[in-house]
Amino acid sequence: MEHMKHMQERGHTDRVDGMDHFERQLTRLMHSPQEQVAFDARHRHRLHAGVRTRRRVRAARRAAGSVLAVAGLGLGLFLWPHGHTDDRPSAPHPRPAVSPAPVPSASTTTTPSPPPSTSEPPSGPPSSLTTDSAPPESTATASNAPGADGSSSTPTYGQPSATATARDTATTTPPVTATENTPAGPSDDPSSVVSPSG
Amino acid sequence: MEQTRAGEYDAFVAARWSVLFHLARLLTGGDRHRAEDLLQESLVKLWFVWPKVADEAPEAYVRTVLARAAARSARRRWWGERPVEELPEVAAAGDMSATVAERSRLEEALARLSPQQRAAVVLRYYQDLPDRQVAEVLGCPVGTARSHAARGVARLRGLLADVIEPVG
Repeated sequence: MEHMKHMQERGHTDRVDGMDHFERQLTRLMHSPQEQVAFDARHRHRLHAGVRTRRRVRAARRAAGSVLAVAGLGLGLFLWPHGHTDDRPSAPHPRPAVSPAPVPSASTTTTPSPPPSTSEPPSGPPSSLTTDSAPPESTATASNAPGADGSSSTPTYGQPSATATARDTATTTPPVTATENTPAGPSDDPSSVVSPSG
Repeated sequence: MEQTRAGEYDAFVAARWSVLFHLARLLTGGDRHRAEDLLQESLVKLWFVWPKVADEAPEAYVRTVLARAAARSARRRWWGERPVEELPEVAAAGDMSATVAERSRLEEALARLSPQQRAAVVLRYYQDLPDRQVAEVLGCPVGTARSHAARGVARLRGLLADVIEPVG
């Protein structure tokens, strides 16, 4: 509003195409004849040098970006957890189940620790093996095999004393303490398995 | 392919160099050296987009780059002495000297505007662009572009009062 009032005071009211006198003169001044500047060899060389420089800068920037991307990816892979199994706490190894009535054939195949010794006396495992939880089944195989076919084989390892065997079996297989066929009963396997076969 | 591209680009630059240089000179307030630098930078940018804009409007692209770069610039013209290799030619008497003197006054007055005002005024009165296109080139709202142009013209009225005499 003040602008219009100011122009009216100065007598710039002859507007043509939305321009007042000053604006038209300003336009004329800007379009006034100008010196012709030729695009000479100096300009051309400088322009091409600028293009080359900018191309190098762009290539360097692209290479730096690629290096940064690869470095970031490598760092990410380095910090990434390697595997799922390593992160988990190690579970205890599965132990053979101690059942009161194991199947003789299955137990013989699954328990390698005691050889198939089939002696009537309680063939307990060595004292070193009594600490493990495997021997109960080994004693079961030892007693079952002779009960089944009635043949006795030579034991491959030293026989422990009867008391040791009794203690071992008593701790592992409580329900099978009473046996009918074997005198050294406590270390033998469940009689329920032996008696039907014999 | 590259040779064709370079040939077309060189032909365009050679044909439009003078006009673009004059625009750059107005946008920089008459600073010849800075105008040349600005035009060089804009043409270098044009080279990398030449396949895209060659068939459309390469000059409009250069104009946009020039105007935005000039409007962003916060540098002001130094009005002190500047060493030159050769002495400037003495203006001959007559109409040509008057024209040169008027243009020099115009450039001095433009140099006293802010970069945004100068760019808006040049685009509006030299490139004859409407306010909407001025806003598009400067990348600002139409009202802002119109405000820059109006304030610039108002400032030029005082600076060029002795060059452009009022009617009546």
